[in-house]
Amino acid sequence: MRNSLKVAKWEMKRNLKNKSFMIGIFLTPVLFIGFMLIGSLFGGSEGEEAVTRVLVNDQLGVLDTLNETAEVLDLNIALEATDKSAAVMSEEIEGMENTAYVMLDDSALESGVFPVYTSDDVNSYFMNQLQALTTPLKTLQLQQLGLTEEETAAISQGLIFEEAAVSESAGEGEQEGTFSNEDTLKRIVPGAFGGIILLSIVFSGMYIFQSASQEKKDKVAEIMLSSLTPGELMQGKIIGYFGLGMVQLVVFLAFGIPFALWNLDIPLFEYLLVPELLLYIAIAVLGYFLYAALFVGVGATMADMSSAGNFQGLVMMLPFLPFLFIGPVVSDPSGLTAQIGSYVPFTAPGVLLLRLSMLDTWPWVEIIISLVILVISIWIFMKLAGKIFKTGILMYGKNATPQEIWKWIRA
Amino acid sequence: MEVFLKVGHLKKSFKNTEILKDISFEVNKGEIMAILGPNGAGKSTTIRNIMGIMYPDDGTVTFLGSKQIPRNKIGYLPEERGLYQNVQVMDILLYLAELKDYPIKKARERALAYLKKFGLEGKEKTTIDELSKGMGQKVQFIASIIHEPEFLILDEPFSGLDPVSQELFKQEIRDLAANGTAILLSSHQMNLVEEMCDRLFLIHRGQKVIYGKMDDVKQEYANFKCTIKGENRLEDMEGLPDVQRVEQRDDTTIMYLTKDIQVASWLKNLPDHIDVKELSIDRISLHEIFIDIATDKNMLKEGAETNA
Repeated sequence: MRNSLKVAKWEMKRNLKNKSFMIGIFLTPVLFIGFMLIGSLFGGSEGEEAVTRVLVNDQLGVLDTLNETAEVLDLNIALEATDKSAAVMSEEIEGMENTAYVMLDDSALESGVFPVYTSDDVNSYFMNQLQALTTPLKTLQLQQLGLTEEETAAISQGLIFEEAAVSESAGEGEQEGTFSNEDTLKRIVPGAFGGIILLSIVFSGMYIFQSASQEKKDKVAEIMLSSLTPGELMQGKIIGYFGLGMVQLVVFLAFGIPFALWNLDIPLFEYLLVPELLLYIAIAVLGYFLYAALFVGVGATMADMSSAGNFQGLVMMLPFLPFLFIGPVVSDPSGLTAQIGSYVPFTAPGVLLLRLSMLDTWPWVEIIISLVILVISIWIFMKLAGKIFKTGILMYGKNATPQEIWKWIRA
Repeated sequence: MEVFLKVGHLKKSFKNTEILKDISFEVNKGEIMAILGPNGAGKSTTIRNIMGIMYPDDGTVTFLGSKQIPRNKIGYLPEERGLYQNVQVMDILLYLAELKDYPIKKARERALAYLKKFGLEGKEKTTIDELSKGMGQKVQFIASIIHEPEFLILDEPFSGLDPVSQELFKQEIRDLAANGTAILLSSHQMNLVEEMCDRLFLIHRGQKVIYGKMDDVKQEYANFKCTIKGENRLEDMEGLPDVQRVEQRDDTTIMYLTKDIQVASWLKNLPDHIDVKELSIDRISLHEIFIDIATDKNMLKEGAETNA
């Protein structure tokens, strides 16, 4: 174990001294945030669209009520009184920008249709927003018909068909998602944090790949093995790159947390520092060890990165397997696909993190089964990786075929 | 002399081929023991079995009487060797010393001293990939001895070195042995082995061919040979006394003589009419013995049998 720690320390030190690694470690979050900023630049132009000026010839006396409604609903509309007639305005308005004209009079109220004249370049959402102002007009119409307030309220409430939840948890999940935004964030924040941990250590775990095959390329393995056992060397690498993943994580958070605090209007730490976080971190760490065992074993079978065979290439793709599950899991976090995803070792960490941050009540039995599967597969893969590593690391200059690997495993 | 390493009846097979067949030898403290053999004879396999990088099918390897490999007391320069490419010379030397539990401060001093000795002064901050092949070899050599090992295994230490560096390595290896280090050296360069080693173990196709003290081996196997340059008939030469075998090529005739001849009196047997442009008498070198064995001429065996 002591020797493993020496190897771990060395692997960390040597990578941290390596310029390309350091550039990578800082560039990733910078790029990430950079793309998010670009995204929000485009998104932002929609949110801050110019307010449409609406000139209202109000002969019904509802302008104040309309103004109130517009304010409550946060519409992008500024109402202004005018006494110009429709005939005059319909011509004048063509020369104006982002402006509309509405005539509110008894005849229109009776017919239920208020003609709107707009300038050419009016905001595309304007007509939709304007529809919201029909409610106070409707109320006025009903009052004129001489209905009591209760009657008015009853009528203006309207009727809808509502889907009753049959599958309890599924319904809950969706309702939570749509209705209480705050609660969702509360769960997503720690889940996302776990996801970031998983992602950054899985990425650095991919360096293990390189590191193990580099060992062969540099022909340094035999020198190492005169001081260490292959097991110690392998463990050292796994621990070392775990440490590097943590460094990557810290760098990521150093960029990410201030950015999130500045960009999202939520009490981030309050949401983050909850007991659930521990489980998320545990899942992420388990995920790392699984992939690390896989990578270190497969890395030892490759002469170098560029000559990876089909078999090795396939294994490299495994960490991206959970992405296939994102769609089905998001649409139904308790569905069959989601359950299968949590029971397959290679997708379990990703799918579990995703499910747990979406579900209101946690399916503890499933979580425990999934974790047990993970732990057992880590144990198995570590054993296998050890066997492959021991032989593979000394096989200089060529890739091992799956047949050979099978032979080493059985040896 | 105290025995450091004892290899007993080592056997190893890959698939169905026996690579090592009953290999036994010892390495004593303070001596340089050579393990020789043509390519594929089983030298590196033997060494890997000693280092615990491979496990023998049968046989024992003991260090100072114990089966446990004292990794910290062993220095190893493998045949297939290299160092991490993108790291600094001093960093890798200190890391390797640390793995051997050698005190860092002392390691740093020794590293600097050796770098200076090998003409690499001021290179401690250079990365390995900037070094030439020869420099890289020197660093690897330093790495194998930085922790003052009691037992040093050098697998082809001279390959790829220029004569000056070879001389440097040779001297350093001799000094280490003089200070009591047990050294197991594998090499193809027979002249170097002949000069340096106290004992040798010649292996061919996984089997022991010769094992003993260098001087004894020379005494026993290295008979005299007489080389004559000039136009001569083969029959004339074959008729001479104490000649085991004659080789003739162009105008050069080599006569391999039996053991225990008196050189001066044998020379008197040369007939007057032979054509001598040049004449030399010397012992068969280790190089010739080696080639002889590697090419299965079995001259030595015949020689030894006739001698017996």
